[in-house]
Amino acid sequence: MSSVKNDPVKIETDRSWEASRSKNVTFVVTEDCQLRCRYCYMVGKNKAGRLKFDVARRAIDYLLGARDLVTEPSVVWDFIGGEPFLEVELIDRICDYFKVRAYELDHPWFERYRFSFSTNGLLYNDARVQRYIAKNSSHLSVQITVDGTRAKHDLQRVYPDGRGSYDDVARNIPRWLEQFPKSSTKVTVSSDDIPRIKESVLHLWGLGIKEVNINVVFEDVWKPGDDERFEAQLMALADETIDRRLYETRSCSFFSKTIGAPYVDNNNWCGAGRMLAVDHRGNFYPCVRFLGFSLQKRPALTIGNCLDGLDRNRLRPFLTLDMVSQSPEECLDCGVATGCAWCQGANYDFADTRTIFQRSVAICRMHKARVRANNYFWNRLGRKLGRDLRAEPRGGEGAGPC
Amino acid sequence: MLKYLLVVLARDATSFCHYEAGGRRRGGADMIPLDRLEAAVLFALKNNLKVNFLYPGRRLGRAYDKLVESVDHVKIVPFAARSGHPGAILVVESSEIPGAADLAGLRGENFILRLRRADLPLLAAALKRLLPRAKRINVVLADVAGCGEAEYAEYRRQLEKILPEVLKLAARPDPPELNVLTDRLALGRMNNCEAGLAHLTVGPNGRLYLCPAFYYADPHESLGEIRGEIGIGNRRLLELKCAPICRICDAYQCKRCVFLNRALTLELNTPSAEQCRLAHVEREASRLYLGRLRESGSGEGLADIPEIAYQDPFDVAVEKKMSIADFKKL
Ligand code: SF4
Ligand code: SF4
Ligand code: SF4
Ligand code: SF4
Repeated sequence: MSSVKNDPVKIETDRSWEASRSKNVTFVVTEDCQLRCRYCYMVGKNKAGRLKFDVARRAIDYLLGARDLVTEPSVVWDFIGGEPFLEVELIDRICDYFKVRAYELDHPWFERYRFSFSTNGLLYNDARVQRYIAKNSSHLSVQITVDGTRAKHDLQRVYPDGRGSYDDVARNIPRWLEQFPKSSTKVTVSSDDIPRIKESVLHLWGLGIKEVNINVVFEDVWKPGDDERFEAQLMALADETIDRRLYETRSCSFFSKTIGAPYVDNNNWCGAGRMLAVDHRGNFYPCVRFLGFSLQKRPALTIGNCLDGLDRNRLRPFLTLDMVSQSPEECLDCGVATGCAWCQGANYDFADTRTIFQRSVAICRMHKARVRANNYFWNRLGRKLGRDLRAEPRGGEGAGPC
Repeated sequence: MLKYLLVVLARDATSFCHYEAGGRRRGGADMIPLDRLEAAVLFALKNNLKVNFLYPGRRLGRAYDKLVESVDHVKIVPFAARSGHPGAILVVESSEIPGAADLAGLRGENFILRLRRADLPLLAAALKRLLPRAKRINVVLADVAGCGEAEYAEYRRQLEKILPEVLKLAARPDPPELNVLTDRLALGRMNNCEAGLAHLTVGPNGRLYLCPAFYYADPHESLGEIRGEIGIGNRRLLELKCAPICRICDAYQCKRCVFLNRALTLELNTPSAEQCRLAHVEREASRLYLGRLRESGSGEGLADIPEIAYQDPFDVAVEKKMSIADFKKL
């Protein structure tokens, strides 16, 4: 559904459920996963890091109790891993505990909550997973990650022995889409899979996944010429989308009306610090990207724990971080800056010193290429429809980086 | 621009700020090696830097004295060691406030009063004793982390209590300065510590640091050896411009201690709640003092200190981000 009424142009993605007004709490239920995706930022997968119910219970108790600090009117409980469905029974207990406590405390979240999953989809048809889904269906979002065509998916999303996982995921897609017809998927693009972008997005749309959130990785993986190859892929995708009128029913986050202009506001891009991740030790993090296993160079960055609560001082940098304080001068003067994303966790990991205030600009050329292709898309589509689409109210923010 | 070099002459040299110095190590190398001291002195001479030497309570020996005397400098010494160092800045610990007899004969001194949280209730009394002997007193809270409402209230009470005494001395031809009460009146813009920008520190191991506190926190976190060009990674994070909370603040007297920032918020450019709240107690006391000065018929030419509705500029910064245009003007 487009958020602009009667607009046949669907192409931009809608914002997620109450995104700006919800507290987003991520439980890292396990650091284990059946796959070893090549681009995965969780570089230290292991079987030991499993969340215990007691730790989750304390975290929930703290968050329900800290009404002065945690003021959002609704909550999204995110369960991630590793692979979260490996721990579906634990998750079921956690969800039940939250519901009961929120009810007992007459907490506003009792009426306004969601459980959200990012999964590799391998266990989707497992009876325990299906039981959980049936029990919580009205409060649930599930996002299965399919990376595109078999070739693209199997290039990155592999088992420890190197085998691709496409077929095992694809067989679960129909049931998933039947249960969650509005679902989206998330695609991550690294240098090697640039040539497969167009076919992958079309493939995912063809599978019935109407919304494709797609991003390039923030790491500095780009080779000379990648930006041109990327631009060519996006332009080919633009042509196909327009010629086959796919824009009426499908969306892809690479195309957005709002990107490619100079900055006018000074906001931070990512929600780290406003959201919260909890690990098996009961530590709180600004986002899962700040856990030890997500970081390559830097130590984990905690912002409290479920016993002592949030550390207000450590939250201060995250809550006051803005664009200007972390960006190089060239970004402030950049003519196509909007939509040029960064990830605070990646910034922290790659910065010259231990700080979140140094923006990584590894995606600079890729963003500029995206902007050129995006302009091409909207101009071509506008001419076809006889309207200046970019002057019209926008349909959504365009998906953020995560 | 770099203006000063701090040289910590020994591991047990007095602290003068928001950190604890180290003790003496048995049989260990506690004093800065002479060749490193010489390198520090040369560095100061070549870069037009004035040196602040931080002294321990004991004598260093003739070779050290000779090097110290070969460069423009100020000595910072523990109060107990004052007799050997005329003209030095004297560090008084709040746990050892000197008695009347110790102070007899002193006049126009520069004091640093390192105040411990537990001694907050003694602040006004300590200042009352020191002020008549002082040209200037810098009060520094030694243990800022963990201060809460009770401490802020007590600090405020103590500053208000000493106010009449400062007012009385203001009538003197050479009125003493008290950093936490009189500095804000004279300042039209930030006057922070500026560690890493206005000064660097040579630790007792002869290596460079942002300030002595960084040496004591982790000697490995050094800026390197004393040499021609000093590289500071992400140096811009030391500048006011890149400090989203401080750049909208007008507690100009605040030290904006980047060491405390790092220790409590993990970021050099982000102050802790404690630091901001304490600085705003001082700002408010200074505002009160300005009012009294004016009532007493003096204080002409001093700019107003506006009344504000917040006690911590974080609350303002979090509500509204500075515009890009305003940022570019900084
Ligand atoms: S990284 Fe490059 S494209 Fe992005 S805002 Fe900066 S200059 Fe512009
Ligand atoms: S952009 Fe990075 S740090 Fe920010 S919320 Fe997303 S994953 Fe976390
Ligand atoms: S940064 Fe400045 S104010 Fe802070 S401890 Fe060091 S010298 Fe003192
Ligand atoms: S009071 Fe806080 S915001 Fe103001 S200068 Fe001091 S540390 Fe910075």
